[in-house]
Amino acid sequence: MIKNFALVIEDDQDLSDIFSKALQTAGFEVEAIRDGQIAQQRIQEVVPTVIVIDLHLPHVDGVTLLKQIHANTALDKTRIIITTADNVQAEIYRNLATIVMVKPISFGQLRDISSRLKIA
Amino acid sequence: MWQKFMTYIYSGANDPDEIRRRQIISILSRGLLAVFSLALIAILIFLALNPDKWQAAGNRLTIAIALVGILSVVGITQINHRSSRLASFLLLSLLTIVSIFSDTPEELANGRSLFVFTLPIAISSLILSPASSFFFATINSIAVTALAFQSNTLPNITAIAGFFILAIISWLSARGLEQALKDLRIINANLDNLVTERTRELAEALTRERIEAGRNQAILNSIADGVIVFNAENRTILANPALSALTKAPSESLTGITLSEFVQSEDLSPANRKVITEIIEQPDRIESGIRVEWGRKSLSVGVARVQDTATRENIGAVAVFRDVTREAELEKLKENFVAVVSHELRTPLNAIMGLTEMLQEGIYGALNEKQISITGRLLTNITRLLSMVGDLLDEAQIGAGKLSIKPQVFKTSLLLETLHSTMDKIAADKGLALASRLDVNMPENIYGDHQRLQQILINLVNNAIKFTEKGGVQVSILKAENNHWKMEVIDTGVGIPEDEVPYIFETFRQASNSEMRTRQHGGFGLGLSIVKQLVELMNGRITVSSQREHGSTFTVLLPIETGH
Repeated sequence: MIKNFALVIEDDQDLSDIFSKALQTAGFEVEAIRDGQIAQQRIQEVVPTVIVIDLHLPHVDGVTLLKQIHANTALDKTRIIITTADNVQAEIYRNLATIVMVKPISFGQLRDISSRLKIA
Repeated sequence: MWQKFMTYIYSGANDPDEIRRRQIISILSRGLLAVFSLALIAILIFLALNPDKWQAAGNRLTIAIALVGILSVVGITQINHRSSRLASFLLLSLLTIVSIFSDTPEELANGRSLFVFTLPIAISSLILSPASSFFFATINSIAVTALAFQSNTLPNITAIAGFFILAIISWLSARGLEQALKDLRIINANLDNLVTERTRELAEALTRERIEAGRNQAILNSIADGVIVFNAENRTILANPALSALTKAPSESLTGITLSEFVQSEDLSPANRKVITEIIEQPDRIESGIRVEWGRKSLSVGVARVQDTATRENIGAVAVFRDVTREAELEKLKENFVAVVSHELRTPLNAIMGLTEMLQEGIYGALNEKQISITGRLLTNITRLLSMVGDLLDEAQIGAGKLSIKPQVFKTSLLLETLHSTMDKIAADKGLALASRLDVNMPENIYGDHQRLQQILINLVNNAIKFTEKGGVQVSILKAENNHWKMEVIDTGVGIPEDEVPYIFETFRQASNSEMRTRQHGGFGLGLSIVKQLVELMNGRITVSSQREHGSTFTVLLPIETGH
């Protein structure tokens, strides 16, 4: 198993690239997923250190995914970063994540935060 | 001449004395009729008892006179209906003739029956005209003289003189009476005029009042807003058709009902019922223009007390309901629009920001100095753009009531630390000093929404820097009276023109509307509006004092709260 693996679940191509690059720079092996349904499949198969997840996703929304992640005991130690543009939603789902980041999210900010979540 | 005479005879219709004269003649005629009838009956009884007296000339004459008299009186009564003057004249003539034959010539000329001649003289002045007594005095004098000659005596000069004296007295008294009547009639006529005039004035005033009342009603009816008036007992006394249309209640069912009956409509939620009841019961306590949902309509309610203009006593309340459904829909649309747009703007802006950052960080290879400077400028502008979009979203969320305060306990000093880390560079870039002070009396930890308090402080400082060209910005966090604390931001900038101070917290407004200033300082003018709304959400108050060219002081006063 890869030591520091991260899933970036974000439907916007550019943001997905930026978040992935930030996590890579922080030292993660990154897999980017842009569809909720595919993500649903992947979280049953892998155990990432960090999942960066947008709440607004095609096919299966972020909140459904978050509930499944919490229901999956294999992912108990996985750290979750919610990324959303909606600060009201950010408040509502705060308890479903380790960290909630409200867009705009800076490259540097995500890089620094995620690097702190790495398993030494 | 003849015509004149006829006019005189038939002047009845225009003569106010006509009725009076007609009545007197009528009485006299009846009296005479009675006298003649009694005389006829008496003589007939007398002759029935003494049949041998039938041959006496005197008795037959009496019967003849009585019969002629009765017929004449009946005739006169008929004439009296057409001309009382002619009837009077004929009656007096009849009286004179009857007098002539009423006794023996001796007795009439000088004896016991002389007095009968005075009757026509006296009566004539009463019923014909005052002066007519002289005419009958003359006629009767001639009659008396003739009778005297018939009975071979000298004319009774004393009696004739007496007739004329009586004529004078009758004339004088009748004239006096006539004058008095005339005066009375004038007074009466004046009185009549007065009454007519007053009646007319009253009618005019009434008409005016009715027109006025009608006009007021028309005005009330044509007002597009729903108007309802309550009396001091909170019972409705007036409602216009617009209200009936707004509330879908028939006009007549809106008057004469109590306040609780008025708000009993099925279209009102219990909360809205309470709001309307409270505002009508205590119009001074609640701000006007409060919004309620009535069925599918959004209504703005304004209530004012009605005071008696003279006594200043409260006599009720007038409530105006304005249909703001369209405005409410537009506001909602605007909020949704702003929320969606700013939300959708954020994603690409976030991408631009991240990609620029990556360039700057050298993720895609090292940049030269010029390229680093350009990416720096790109980032500054993207950050500005993002903060504007953030402001728009905040404004939309506050407007929609979606933004709530999430208090927690945090270190007071954190506010100033974060402020410096965010704003020091921006102040320094403009050559300004950013100083801060934390009052030693402030509690070390404070309970509040750290993120929003920080937003308020950064917004105020950002604003201060924006409007200051030289000098600096002083930020203080101080303990205030009555268990409050305050954040104070003092700058040495351009200040705010006095007339614009009341408006600076309004949405989309920037002090001084000159285009140059707006361009120079940028932004939507949302910053202060959001700050004010956030402060109010925290039960606080924001005030500003400013002098043109001498800077401004913004003070945020907040209650010290304790966490649970």
